[in-house]
Amino acid sequence: MDVSVRELDASSVVSVLKSLYSLILVLVLWEVVTQLGYIHYYFLPPLSDVLARFVELTQSGEMLDNAYLTLKRAFLGLAIASVLGVIVGILSARNRVANWFFDPIIKIGYPVPIIALIPVFMLWFGIGDTSKIIMVAVGTFWPIAVNARDAARQVEQNLVWAARMMGTSDWKLLWRVIMPAAAPGIVTGLQIALPLSLIITFVFEMVAGGGGLGALEIQGVRSFQSTQTYAAIIAIMLVGLALDRSLRVVRGYLLRWT
Amino acid sequence: MSNVSVRSVDAVPAPLLRAGKFLFDWIPLVILTVLWEYASGTAVPAEILPPPTRVVGEIQELIVSGEVYSHLFTSLFRIGVGLGLSIAVGVLLGIGMARLDPVEDFFEVLLALTYPIPKTALVPLAILWLGVGTETAVLIVFLACLLPIVLNAYNAAENVDKNLVWAAKMMGTDGRQLFRKVVIPATIPEILTGVRQAIPIAFIALVSAELIASDEGIGYLILTAGQVGNYPTMFANIVIISAVAFFAVRGYELLRERVLVWT
Repeated sequence: MDVSVRELDASSVVSVLKSLYSLILVLVLWEVVTQLGYIHYYFLPPLSDVLARFVELTQSGEMLDNAYLTLKRAFLGLAIASVLGVIVGILSARNRVANWFFDPIIKIGYPVPIIALIPVFMLWFGIGDTSKIIMVAVGTFWPIAVNARDAARQVEQNLVWAARMMGTSDWKLLWRVIMPAAAPGIVTGLQIALPLSLIITFVFEMVAGGGGLGALEIQGVRSFQSTQTYAAIIAIMLVGLALDRSLRVVRGYLLRWT
Repeated sequence: MSNVSVRSVDAVPAPLLRAGKFLFDWIPLVILTVLWEYASGTAVPAEILPPPTRVVGEIQELIVSGEVYSHLFTSLFRIGVGLGLSIAVGVLLGIGMARLDPVEDFFEVLLALTYPIPKTALVPLAILWLGVGTETAVLIVFLACLLPIVLNAYNAAENVDKNLVWAAKMMGTDGRQLFRKVVIPATIPEILTGVRQAIPIAFIALVSAELIASDEGIGYLILTAGQVGNYPTMFANIVIISAVAFFAVRGYELLRERVLVWT
């Protein structure tokens, strides 16, 4: 208690101000310049209007409904990709036949700009939730599989031999030795895949509609309500920040033994 | 006996062995392609999944007729300008933030707030400002590539060997020369790593921008071909942009090995 009070002395206040002044400057400039009418309202509405719109959309429930749609699509796709990616990754790391089979597929599939497949998925599965979820799953599969594979390849052979010598079965070896040892790499893959899942969902929503924050944002452009576009971007930023933070916390918790 | 067997392995020329291994390695893809060829028209309608032969024929046609070049050129131009700008700005910003406190104080909070926003989510905003077309695509590619380059330049400049800096200072190198002669050369390998990370991101950003807001470019071709039901063209263009992305990364890595001979 005492310590925290003592730490709040002048120098720490100065350092906080130092790190925040640019943000405050930008926000104040935004408000002043737009209120004075130097920038056309359509391009950049005043910050206060954007915030008012944000509050309005939040209170009407529209923002939360759309955020829910986006997160549902991103998470379900990510969940499918995690399961398949970890299975394929670990299989190719531990099994020569699986590696022979999957290695060229990963080599070809990983560099494809997966976003380009959105029109294909619209053709195959329509523009509904299913299509978006499968698209996210296909897009995020690659980084998860590659990271899981590379991590499982680097599991120390001594650990495997020691476990084997003590008579550990294949299944137990997987759960007790390989999965924990590969966990940091798997979590890294998830950290790469998470923003990717959001990117795919947003772009799909912008191209095909069907609700979600991406659709809300592009709707603002099409209906000449730029406040809605800016409000949606604020929501996207908040979602991104929250997910990034929580993934770090989860990483710290899952890997607390490292 | 053992001599004989060694010689018999030697008798197969190394390039042939390598070619054999190469072929063996790529058999799974051949299997998949053959499966695709047979599935198309039997298990799934050929309109929905055109057979590979059809797609390859379409690519050939696009190349021979020259139809694809202007779009491909537009896309490459957008990537080139966007990536080039992000390298110029990102290197300056990253090194500046690492070496000068006021620069870091100014940009740190702004970067921290904007980095969780997927840059492709800014396409509608770019449409607001710049309309539909090249400027929007360039802006999105620039923004998307900026962060990996800033981060790598920043980390590299933070960790420049103190001894190098001291030695240069002792010999009377002033601030600007220190930058040009010591800091920037020391950071080049990591900046090139940042660029390597940025190339695939640039392609994702480009295709997103072209799908949502464009009247030209490969992404635009993919979308419109899909909309009018010309599916072989759609698949052909996806293969083309994927191949370009693949060889861009490959070519860059080869080039980097040639350039960075001292590391």
